[in-house]
Amino acid sequence: MRVVMAVLGLLLLAGCAQTMYRWGGYDETLYNHYKNPQDRQEFVEHLSLVISDAESRGARVPPGCYAEFGWALYEEGRGEQAVVYFAKESKFWPESRVLMEKLVRNATLRRGPASTTRAASTTGPAGALEGVAK
Amino acid sequence: MRLTRFLPLALVVACAPPAQRDYTKLITANPKSILVVPAINKSVDVDAADYFLSTLPIPLAERGYYVFPVNLVKRLLEDDGLSDAALVHSADPVRLCSMFGADAVLFPTIEQWTAKYVVVTTQVEVDFSYILKDGKTGEELWRGREKGVYQSNAGQGGLLAGIIAAAIEKAKPNYMPMARAANLKAMAYPGPGLPAGPYRAEYRHDLPGAQPAKAPVSKPASATDTSPAAKP
Repeated sequence: MRVVMAVLGLLLLAGCAQTMYRWGGYDETLYNHYKNPQDRQEFVEHLSLVISDAESRGARVPPGCYAEFGWALYEEGRGEQAVVYFAKESKFWPESRVLMEKLVRNATLRRGPASTTRAASTTGPAGALEGVAK
Repeated sequence: MRLTRFLPLALVVACAPPAQRDYTKLITANPKSILVVPAINKSVDVDAADYFLSTLPIPLAERGYYVFPVNLVKRLLEDDGLSDAALVHSADPVRLCSMFGADAVLFPTIEQWTAKYVVVTTQVEVDFSYILKDGKTGEELWRGREKGVYQSNAGQGGLLAGIIAAAIEKAKPNYMPMARAANLKAMAYPGPGLPAGPYRAEYRHDLPGAQPAKAPVSKPASATDTSPAAKP
């Protein structure tokens, strides 16, 4: 049912907005994720929809969407798949390269024994930031 | 951009006199990518910061800038001990930007986000401020402030009533339409907002006193292009 609503939302948005990118309800997706964090699957599916919707029409996937989807996969311990999307973000949006390379590196490092748990290391993916908190 | 869709919303957003803007620093800094950090929340609704954050990437990216994935950035900051937005906002912008490889960083603040229930009308107010700082110098490049006041009147119909109705759910007010409208207004250009970024066709040609275009309009970077946009 929720997926049906999501698809309807996509269609509605596609019909009315004259935007540069096909966002496919990206803001609503984030909003719903914050509102109902337990509906993780829906969040991941909707991010995937945003990407496939743009890709299937030959449109540019909006900035940040590949990375956000990759991150969602990464959080679920799907590091190998996450890396694919971090790489796509970096490829299509060169401004993201510095961050994406860090994420790819960290995801690759963590792909080992603890790849299915989130609390694999204390520094976590944010080790990528190398201590922004100062 | 078809503005008529947003007109009903724009009409109910309180109008502030347009301030004279100095875009010199922004034009000089010429940021192409913007890091959006979590918002400081001065409202009583603890969830407002996240909801507001959700509304920021689209209008910014539609202005032609690369916008870093806000949820990813938020999580990275949290994992790094920066779950308090006030801490992030007090961090050195240069340092923040260099960690993410961003040209500039946007610090959003929710000044107000309230619904007042009266007998015949319901008034919802949002008040946001936005400060953009340079990733190289840390200087302020741009500042926006947008207040939106939405009022429902008994007996009013049509689109506006629908928007208001959507906004005032009993259990959990949905402020998204107002946040969207306020963002759009704050970032609109010409106006108080942001000149076009490199992914918009009018990039560099919409500036005050801009020379007629000689350089080719920058195109979105290709996969192999290392410089995301042509320099003017």
